[in-house]
Amino acid sequence: MDGVETAQFSAVVVVGLLVFFYGGTFLISTRIGKKDENADGYMTGGNNIGFGISAASMTATWIWASSMYASATSGYTYGISGPIHYGLWGALMILFIYPFGKRIRAVAPKAHTLAEVMYVRHGRSSQLMLAGSNIVGSLISLMSNFIAGGVLISLLSPFNFTQGVFAVAAGVLLYTLWSGFRASVLTDFVQVVAMLGAVAVIVPFIFFAAGFPAAFETGAGNLTPQQGDFFSSDAFMQQGAPYIAAVLAYAIGNQTIAQRLFAVKQSLIKPTFVTATIGYGAMVIGVGMLGVLALYLGFEPAGGDLNNLIPGMAAEYLPTALLAVFFIMIIGALSSTADSDLSALSSIMMADVYGQNVAGKEKADPRTMLLIGRITMVLATAAAVAFASLQLSILDLLVFVGALWGALVFPVLASFYWEKVTGRAFTTSVLVALAVFLPVRFGWISVDGPFGIVVDVLSVIGIGVVLGLMAFGFFGAGVAKIVGVLATLVSAPFAIGSLHEYATLCGSLVAYSVSTVICWAMSAGQKERFDFAVIAQRTGDFDDGSAARAARDDAGAAVPRQAADTGTGAPDRAGDARTGAPGRAGDADGEPEPAARK
Amino acid sequence: MTTVALSAYILMWPVVVAVVLFVISRAFFREWAEARRNGRGLI
Repeated sequence: MDGVETAQFSAVVVVGLLVFFYGGTFLISTRIGKKDENADGYMTGGNNIGFGISAASMTATWIWASSMYASATSGYTYGISGPIHYGLWGALMILFIYPFGKRIRAVAPKAHTLAEVMYVRHGRSSQLMLAGSNIVGSLISLMSNFIAGGVLISLLSPFNFTQGVFAVAAGVLLYTLWSGFRASVLTDFVQVVAMLGAVAVIVPFIFFAAGFPAAFETGAGNLTPQQGDFFSSDAFMQQGAPYIAAVLAYAIGNQTIAQRLFAVKQSLIKPTFVTATIGYGAMVIGVGMLGVLALYLGFEPAGGDLNNLIPGMAAEYLPTALLAVFFIMIIGALSSTADSDLSALSSIMMADVYGQNVAGKEKADPRTMLLIGRITMVLATAAAVAFASLQLSILDLLVFVGALWGALVFPVLASFYWEKVTGRAFTTSVLVALAVFLPVRFGWISVDGPFGIVVDVLSVIGIGVVLGLMAFGFFGAGVAKIVGVLATLVSAPFAIGSLHEYATLCGSLVAYSVSTVICWAMSAGQKERFDFAVIAQRTGDFDDGSAARAARDDAGAAVPRQAADTGTGAPDRAGDARTGAPGRAGDADGEPEPAARK
Repeated sequence: MTTVALSAYILMWPVVVAVVLFVISRAFFREWAEARRNGRGLI
């Protein structure tokens, strides 16, 4: 950022804008605040949220500051199709996962995290893989959003980067800490209104202020033939294709999305996801078009840093009032994702660590859970602020987490549909997939020789897996197999021999293919069948547990003791195993699954 | 692409964004009004 600090706002104005935004969101969160918050409400808002809030929240969460910067960078780098190859694929992934979302809610209507469901389905190792990947992923996301806030504030005000990071971190924590997920989704509505409203005004304003449409003709010489081609192969191979593989994994593996899936009213999953698809796509592509305009104009971002592209365009062409709107738009985008990350992290620590692994579901005390959730938020914020100063390579970290989630996609989805998948198949397939991913992605083994052909073959299978999974959600297993096989066969002649040159794309694809092949091979011959009804019984509300009832009894509430024997009232076929307590019903390693098998 | 097509291509996204904003806002305020009528919280 050296040399690019251009104060556009005075310190008083920036402080005023931050107080207006974070003060406003804090006041909104106090409207729903309760003296005695409920642990389940803190994690999922009661599983009954309406369309307006859930669609706004899904849209706001999927949009983060980096997505706007990256979309504009894609437009600036790859030309007129660049924003499409960032925003459209990201949007379609929301659409593609909604059929899976409906299945997940049908199997686990009252769950809080996907990892919690995996614990019931397979045991501790699968749960910790999902929970661990989400802790790392959410911390990276949190750090990235704080960095974006610090950069923005340092660019547009006299404050420096560190002061900006602290201001954003404190603001987000302020309104999220007390009510958790409930505050996150409610404030998401206000933030999405700010973001969408800003894009609807700012993009056309800059378009005309910068001299378009005439500038399309005067600036056409600034584009290469590939940049001017709507069907640019460069844009697809370098940006679109790797992104398709990566965001499918993000959509399935990311707890911030799963949390909203468990929160929305079950009948509203489809309209929520469809609306978020359109909202996210239009918003991110729209902002990405600023990169295309900058390319036509020959605009040079300050310091040559592409992250300065959007702020630079805004500072160049927007009047002060609209620059303030732009500032709020970016702060809203990063805050909505940051508060979702805090909520996701707290839910994982509450449900997966304390609720399932420390206390056991039936003995988990909701008051202790709330305390753990709030402490998690404070610690996560502090950690993200500290990491933000280390200048780690966010892209490398995100690629690694994306690959981990890529390796998890098939085992996780298969675990919701196929009763033969075992915990051993799940764990083995993910670990082997990661072991193959690492040398491919980071070039540890030369791909010039036979290993390159192996990578190509695995990548081609990965193409079939990705497209097959997308087809499976909408059309079922028969169509998915046809699509998967056809995709593999059609792409093989073009891909084998050359695909290994695209390390990012191949890394993701081998993660998909290896995990799928191994998980399938280890599960297909299994005689045991999992009873999916067990998941609903074991993932109910924590506030209905015996510890919660004891707490209410202590408080003077008259609750019949016999209720403690039946928990949520669901038939307890698995007996004590429904607590999920390791060692009670499971085998020696604490896996609870045998009790769930017929 | 022609200048007209490029202009439409750039400016169509803010229009779609505005439509989505309208749909989400209308649903939110309807749910808010319904929650108030029924005397319960929005979330």
